[in-house]
Amino acid sequence: MLKTNYIKDENKLICTFSGHISGLLCDELATKIDSQMAQIKETGSNQDQLQIAFDLTDVSYIASSYIRICMATAKKLKPGKFSVINCNPFIKKTFKVAGLDEILHVV
Amino acid sequence: MSELENFLETADQVLERAILSAAEFQQFDQKRTDQIVEAVFKAGFNARVKLARMAHEETGIGVWEHKVLKNTLATLLVYTSIKDEKTVGVISFDPLTGMTEIAQPLGPIFAVIPVTNPTSTVMYKVLIALKTRNPVIVSAHRSAVKCCTETVRICYEAALAAGAPEDCIQIIPAGSRELTQAIMAHPKLALILATGGTGLVKAAYSSGNPAIGVGPGNVPVFIDESADIPFAVSNIISSKTFDNGTVCASEQSIIVEKSIEAVVRKEFERQQCYFLTPDEIRRVEKVAITEGTMNMNAAIVGQPVQAIAKMAGIAVPEGTKILMATLNGYGKDFPLSVEVLAPILAFYSTKDYRSAINLCIDLNYLGGIGHSAGIYANNEERIMEFSQLLNAGRILVNTPTAQGACGGIYNSLLPSLTLGCGTGGKNITTENISARHLINIQRVCRRKPNENWLSLDLQHCLDDHYDATALYKEYYKNH
Repeated sequence: MLKTNYIKDENKLICTFSGHISGLLCDELATKIDSQMAQIKETGSNQDQLQIAFDLTDVSYIASSYIRICMATAKKLKPGKFSVINCNPFIKKTFKVAGLDEILHVV
Repeated sequence: MSELENFLETADQVLERAILSAAEFQQFDQKRTDQIVEAVFKAGFNARVKLARMAHEETGIGVWEHKVLKNTLATLLVYTSIKDEKTVGVISFDPLTGMTEIAQPLGPIFAVIPVTNPTSTVMYKVLIALKTRNPVIVSAHRSAVKCCTETVRICYEAALAAGAPEDCIQIIPAGSRELTQAIMAHPKLALILATGGTGLVKAAYSSGNPAIGVGPGNVPVFIDESADIPFAVSNIISSKTFDNGTVCASEQSIIVEKSIEAVVRKEFERQQCYFLTPDEIRRVEKVAITEGTMNMNAAIVGQPVQAIAKMAGIAVPEGTKILMATLNGYGKDFPLSVEVLAPILAFYSTKDYRSAINLCIDLNYLGGIGHSAGIYANNEERIMEFSQLLNAGRILVNTPTAQGACGGIYNSLLPSLTLGCGTGGKNITTENISARHLINIQRVCRRKPNENWLSLDLQHCLDDHYDATALYKEYYKNH
């Protein structure tokens, strides 16, 4: 069961996920994230300054589709404005193996 | 004749001698082969002190007493680990499967020798090559020609006296990249045993001949809160100071949780390690890493602490064993986070266990994938979690990584001076390379029909109506 939470603060969006992120959930998840980004855009905030962090504190598994969501989200932002935070070591290793930990700022 | 043509001719001559040697050698039986290996072991072992002194004097790297121990590992430990191994003719037969395995030699082996462990690597490679009836061509580093030539002379004379074929050990003139490349790419060469820097290993793999290369290291060591801290620190020091840190499996970074940072730091200080100030770190960085690169400066490799301190223009207490650099990041902005084969250690403190392991993964991937990693802990769960998360051919538990990774002293890893790093390090294996990797194994397969296959109606395989479940059931029917 995947739980999500979104915290918006002016130009920042922190998306907190918890649980097992399977591929089946990813289509819905991508739509939700797009919708959150659209809401921020509607407020008229400076899109160039928009920062998004995916907080994976309580995530135990990520599907490859989820990594694609990370890449797609990062591409919509200015360089350096996307990050993946609070990974457990197994998730950290998953991004390492994919060779995307630096591009996606996995910390 | 151009210079290049000269080299090619020399490569032809070297390989011609080697191939004739290989032709004779492949007729030897196990007993005769073993007699040669024993003779070479004894000669090399008896020359261990002289060769260690020569290596130290010529290269100016390391500690001669430690080089004696490396020579001992390369002879005594390597020999005892291979002496009873079957490497000639029939090496196994399984009556149940009807499978017989026959060991065949590979042919001429090109042994590239690093400057950090010259005489020991020559003896180790010569022993494992002769044990498998392969002639060996040695290529010494340009700064270690004299000691390698003497090692080859000692081994070759002993081998000949024991009845080995002529030219079973050769050494090529040093300092010629063209000759090295010509031999590496020579059609009569069977295998390259490449121990050295990334460039050399890449050249070996690009030659078109089979190669066993090894990747670089950047060994992270995690000290868990469950560890015996004085024991851990003492082991780390004995490893990192061994031959002034020239072993590629020696510790490069120490990672601890904030909760035990003060205790670990105090213990390092108590055991005569010196924590550099931020300004001193910058000075040491400048001499340890070539500016603008992530590569260590050759001038500090295997140098003692006082010499490094002098180069960096800093004063450290007399008797300091290791220079400790407290870092809060890794990568190009933190030059000491990469591999430095000298008594300099990066030191990290993280807020919790999870961050510590994540940092170990980052450091592991920073130039040392597949090599080695270390953990000091008395918590089995954490040891196993660490082991699964790190990409390292050898996870050394409560063990000095330099001596531990080379095998035969603290564990039953194969004694070796060439440590496989798996595909992460662009190698074919994560094993410690030894004689068993230098034979072609032929499998003689006696007729032992698979009853399950015979009971399968092959017409059913041709029929689309039979699905996987049906045929799987049929395959195992009445078994």
